[in-house]
Amino acid sequence: MNMEYILSLMLHLPPSLRDRRRYLRFEVFCEREIDKSELLKEIWDSLYALYGDVGASESKVWLIEYHKSEDTNNGLGILRCAHDKVDEVRASLACIHSVNYAQVGIRVIKISGTIKGATRLRR
Amino acid sequence: MLNYFDLNVHAYPETDASVEELLSVAKRYGYAGIAITNHDEVVQEQKESNAVFYGVEIKANSVSDLKRKINLHWGKVSLLAVHGGNDKINRAAVENPKVDILAHPCGERGEGGLNHVLVRYAAENGVAIDVNMNAIIHSRRGERARTLGKMREILKLVRKYNAPTILTSHAHSIYDLRAPREMIALAALFGMSKEEATGALCDIPRGVLEKRWKKERDVEII
Repeated sequence: MNMEYILSLMLHLPPSLRDRRRYLRFEVFCEREIDKSELLKEIWDSLYALYGDVGASESKVWLIEYHKSEDTNNGLGILRCAHDKVDEVRASLACIHSVNYAQVGIRVIKISGTIKGATRLRR
Repeated sequence: MLNYFDLNVHAYPETDASVEELLSVAKRYGYAGIAITNHDEVVQEQKESNAVFYGVEIKANSVSDLKRKINLHWGKVSLLAVHGGNDKINRAAVENPKVDILAHPCGERGEGGLNHVLVRYAAENGVAIDVNMNAIIHSRRGERARTLGKMREILKLVRKYNAPTILTSHAHSIYDLRAPREMIALAALFGMSKEEATGALCDIPRGVLEKRWKKERDVEII
């Protein structure tokens, strides 16, 4: 890898040209504990199945974080997507019925324009 | 604050999920109430409250069997649903004003359907057409494409004849329930607008429980 390539990765776009994003904070009800990679695979599968390769690329989904809650098997996570594809991403999350043969149900709790806003709890 | 209702949930003894569990998850998701509609072959005890309603989903293999079972259960439960799918059963259900809901008219896996005649009957008799979200969630590829196509057709007809439509989860476990906003996003997949979907989750289910369409359209139940 040459230096120029590494620099190009580090370059940031000016704010006016950056993608507008939304961060979805979601909750996963599950039968047993599931890990981040299993969930991510299922999210992408669902997105591909519902909107195809073009739709999936347009929605720019990225799983920021996912962790299990302390007392139950349920999990909490934050997902990033394009600002105009929130409803599509929500529908594809709703279509997930199982992760690795464990039944799950996903609900979006909060939508925000920043990670900080999505992390902050209501009330 | 809108009151969301899910009028087709299957609970213990038909499935493993208990009513209390289902209700606590539904409340957390933002529902005001759920209706337990187990199939008629299962006997259950009924503890009605202002958040849990009990109904029955009648499964019949012939038109005469359906009529007999409707008369048997009518007046004893707060919701009378018919397990749709078969064309003849669908027709007999929408023609009968005693029926409140025609559950999954295109079958649990999209095998039957509705036409303009049936939807007009449903509108006249105040039979709510139920759109089953579980069919979208649990199928993939060709099967889901067919189901969504059927739902699009139904939506076109109910818009034309102004028949009551409700969105339900057909949940068999707590993992099958979906929050109201997720249901609205799923309804958008077959072309339902946000306003229509909200109505199908709040106002119309409430009207079905209050038997509003039976009163409005002066349906005579003999």
